[in-house]
Amino acid sequence: MVAQAIMLGVIAGIGILDGRIFGVLMLERPLVTGLLVGLVLGDVKQGVMIGAQLELIWMGIAGIGASTPPDVVTGGILGTAFAILSNQGAEVALVLAVPIAVLAQSLGVLVRIINGYFLHKADKYAAKADFRGVTLMMWIPPFLFFLSVFIPTFLAIILGAEEVKALVNAVPETILGGLKVAGNLLPAVGFALLLDMLFTKKMGVYFFLGFLGASYLGLNITAIALFGACIAVIVNLLVNNQPKDGQARDVNYNNLTEGEIDFD
Amino acid sequence: MTREKKVTKKELRQVFWRSFALQGAFNYERMQNLGYAYAMIPVIKKLYDNHDDQVKALNRHLEIFNTTPAVVPTIMGISAALEEQNANDPHFDSSSISAIKASLMGPLAGIGDSLFWGTFRVIAAGIGISLATSGNIFGPILFLLLYNIPHLFLRVVGLKLGYSVGVNSLERIQKEGLMEKIMAMATTVGLFVVGGMVATMLSFKTPLKFNINGAKVVVQDILNQILPNMLPLLVTFAVYWLMKKKVSITKLTLGIIVFGILIHWAKIL
Repeated sequence: MVAQAIMLGVIAGIGILDGRIFGVLMLERPLVTGLLVGLVLGDVKQGVMIGAQLELIWMGIAGIGASTPPDVVTGGILGTAFAILSNQGAEVALVLAVPIAVLAQSLGVLVRIINGYFLHKADKYAAKADFRGVTLMMWIPPFLFFLSVFIPTFLAIILGAEEVKALVNAVPETILGGLKVAGNLLPAVGFALLLDMLFTKKMGVYFFLGFLGASYLGLNITAIALFGACIAVIVNLLVNNQPKDGQARDVNYNNLTEGEIDFD
Repeated sequence: MTREKKVTKKELRQVFWRSFALQGAFNYERMQNLGYAYAMIPVIKKLYDNHDDQVKALNRHLEIFNTTPAVVPTIMGISAALEEQNANDPHFDSSSISAIKASLMGPLAGIGDSLFWGTFRVIAAGIGISLATSGNIFGPILFLLLYNIPHLFLRVVGLKLGYSVGVNSLERIQKEGLMEKIMAMATTVGLFVVGGMVATMLSFKTPLKFNINGAKVVVQDILNQILPNMLPLLVTFAVYWLMKKKVSITKLTLGIIVFGILIHWAKIL
């Protein structure tokens, strides 16, 4: 158990560092961490399936901009791990993952506040053209980020696994069934977040084209993406609809980097 | 006459690897600034021997900075080209280096978010999830590949182009409306895929049945005749509408969990 707890802690550390020092390669996403948690706990299939469900729910949640989103790394890993350890499915994973992600977020906020200290130290080194000092100040915060998820994950698995197992097994059937329904409903939040970024009155028709293509023609996602790409080329490159100067196109410039979405 | 100072491939390669650590020391005060300055150190060391020039250059890149990480090598390439000009031309206005950085991070974040966050990631996740729901390990693997191939391609090409072609070409691209076209295309594909995912990945059916004069009426069958997947569509737009009404994500999520338990208990879903 200790070895597994350490490995899960390391997975969480890699996940949180993905957005910090690995350039956001998507190693932080539940779809990927689910696979890794499954490998560690010896149930790859279940890990991948739970990861897919959590990915759907958190689809729209991004680690970008100044706003600090719910910590999908700690939430996803602990939710998946506890569900596998107590022989339960995605519905248990998500009901654990959602509150854990919100709680763990506050640690991420704390580290970002502490980083202000290293920033000021870096300013002082910069004033002396001390490149080594600046580099050192740049590399201490990643260790804090690592610890901010490694420690909670490790402790939760070591101390909490039995308790969570008992708690989960005590939950009545009606509630579990309800959680399953909630789990099916929750991806709507992710989709709505994406629509918030992409949807405009003029462009909205493409959403419906994709929806109808899948509903009536039974196309899968790959087919939808390819048709979408063809139509994007036809409309934007082949049809001559160059707007005159000063006439703005109806593209949603409202990018997420400005941190307008309220996560709290 | 001093010999001309030049950034070589070696420094650019160092900048490339260092650019991944952009958010390592993210802070609320100046955000990605420390990561940016860290990535520029090889260039600064190569171009300036003088203590004062080094201090000035470091401080320039410690200014506030925030953008989509995927586009940052492009901006760093441009910064490197400008620093090179500054090192060789005593009349160069060094404040333009900061000004150009600041003017690029907004528009490039916009295009980066819609391309990577709204399009590539959505497509990659959509395909990955559709495999992963049956427990297939190629789901996550395909997800990583589909996202990171265009992602890493842009990082490599962006840095090279940013350095060699510089800021003028970006301005030209912006004037010709190419940025807007790329964003419009990315948004189109993104919306297509989200529409398809709402239809295929949100699955719930109502078990409601009525008996009217002995004739059985199955509600789900009626809904399917009006529009297949009508319920998922309605739920998505209901959540979208609440989001527009400034209901926070956390409240929405918890609300849906409670709502799910209640309607299951009421046997509606």
